[in-house]
Amino acid sequence: MLAANKYENPILLAPMVLFLLAFLGFPAVVDIIYSFSEITFETLRAPKLSGIGNYQKVLADPEFWQAAGFSLKFGLVTAALECLLGLFLAVFLSPLFEKRTWLLAVIMMPMMVAPAMVGLMYRLVLHEFVGPLPYYFYIWFGDSPSFLGSDNIFTTLVIIETLQWTPFAFLLCYVAYRGIPAELREAASVDGAKALRMLWYIELPLMLPTIAIAFFIRFIDGFRVFDNIFVLAGSGPGGSTTSMSIFIYLAFFKLGKIGTAVAASMLLFVAVLCLLVVVSRLSQRRASA
Amino acid sequence: MKGFVTALRWIVFLVAAVAMNFPVISTLVTSLKTNAEISSNPGLWVQKPTLENYARVLEVTERLDIFSYLFNSAVASLIGAILPIILAFPAAYAVARRGYGRNILLPVVVNLRAMPLVIFAIPIYMMYQWVGLLDTRLGLGLILAVVNLPLALVILVNAINDIPIELDEAARIDGAKIGSIIMRIVAPVCRPALATTFIFGFITAWNEFLFGLMLTTREATPVTVGASFFFSASGGGVQWGVAAAVMIVAALPPVLLGLIMYRQISGSMTAGAVKG
Repeated sequence: MLAANKYENPILLAPMVLFLLAFLGFPAVVDIIYSFSEITFETLRAPKLSGIGNYQKVLADPEFWQAAGFSLKFGLVTAALECLLGLFLAVFLSPLFEKRTWLLAVIMMPMMVAPAMVGLMYRLVLHEFVGPLPYYFYIWFGDSPSFLGSDNIFTTLVIIETLQWTPFAFLLCYVAYRGIPAELREAASVDGAKALRMLWYIELPLMLPTIAIAFFIRFIDGFRVFDNIFVLAGSGPGGSTTSMSIFIYLAFFKLGKIGTAVAASMLLFVAVLCLLVVVSRLSQRRASA
Repeated sequence: MKGFVTALRWIVFLVAAVAMNFPVISTLVTSLKTNAEISSNPGLWVQKPTLENYARVLEVTERLDIFSYLFNSAVASLIGAILPIILAFPAAYAVARRGYGRNILLPVVVNLRAMPLVIFAIPIYMMYQWVGLLDTRLGLGLILAVVNLPLALVILVNAINDIPIELDEAARIDGAKIGSIIMRIVAPVCRPALATTFIFGFITAWNEFLFGLMLTTREATPVTVGASFFFSASGGGVQWGVAAAVMIVAALPPVLLGLIMYRQISGSMTAGAVKG
């Protein structure tokens, strides 16, 4: 349908575009300028350009690399676990949900709770003296691991994140599984395909694009994790649970190293941008193939 | 054999449901215990249920004011849920009906969802300081609107795509202006999608933590941040009963909304992921 005049379309987009420019465009420009400047809280309005010093400092900072490594590992491990578990639940429990969709609400509930609240709740759940989990560990196994000790904290955080967000992967897989055309299944079962073979050769390949999307979304969310780790463990023993987001937050708010924080932000921005470009190229190639 | 498999399915469902909801379940149980019972019985049953902890949470003191945290969260979340709809709806119309912005604007906005927002947090903090939006409900609400905007756009573009174009063409021929086509013809048909966008945005905004932590200090503290104040409430150790009760209070609004509206939410989550 044609617009009545040539200004109509731009006017329709203008409010949203202006809003985004003000709240993301302007900050992005400030980020870029500050990242190349010598900057302290006193010189906020008059940044002195100083070249790539901030970047050199960040790239030479072992804590930055530790945070990057943590985020990467955390994102990959949680996304993989969530997708595997979600896929299993979606396929195995699908007959239960067909007749009783309200059961979905029970599975989706963890996603409705703020991750920050979940992190705080685990402070209670895992507490040595008042927490239910250590209590049952003592009763059943005679001993309880130190969940937040340096040996176990990564595993603990991965499990916490996975338990909260498996429902997301489950939901995507479940919808994809239910969306497989009945004729495909019938044609296959006429051939006498057993359930497992049907899953492997017919259903899984059809669900693969959805699983890939779920993995990507969960990886990004795991990579930028902040809330639950921050309230539960802070930066962890020896900074071992400092994610990229926590690194930037601490550099700015706790240490006042604005230059470091801003340069790290820009590096994160570029990294995510590259990832997005690669992923969208891949999905375009899929779509056109 | 069939009965056995069904039983196994139920067992797996129950184990998964309990494991994934475990923090909420045990916090709820703890919030109903007396202080004495919390230390003597950390298990998952209550000997003498009490509402004493909830009464303590609702007490307003000089340092802690749950009502103000809830009010801040509600106002900021309303802004954060409504504003994206107002901004994205006309844009979604241009994208869906005219294909205007489909090639560049739509993918850019959609991909914003993947950007860690902490990247923009520092300049936004400074910007807020300059314009006086720091520690205000409006300031927090505006940022929550940024968070919700991408998904709102995706859902609304899909919704308008699903409406037959004859509907607004007929109105156009009758001489209706673009504004009234959008408001009087398209918007009413899109009501379910608008409601979904609102509910989903409200839940997301309510549950947001990073910006609440950074952009508020005292006046506009949302409940996700305010709840953690209860952990260090009194000089001594944490009062676990009160802490548990405040977490339940803070988590209740989005959880209730989510349980009531789970169909719409699951629809928008999957649509936003697959079509976005």
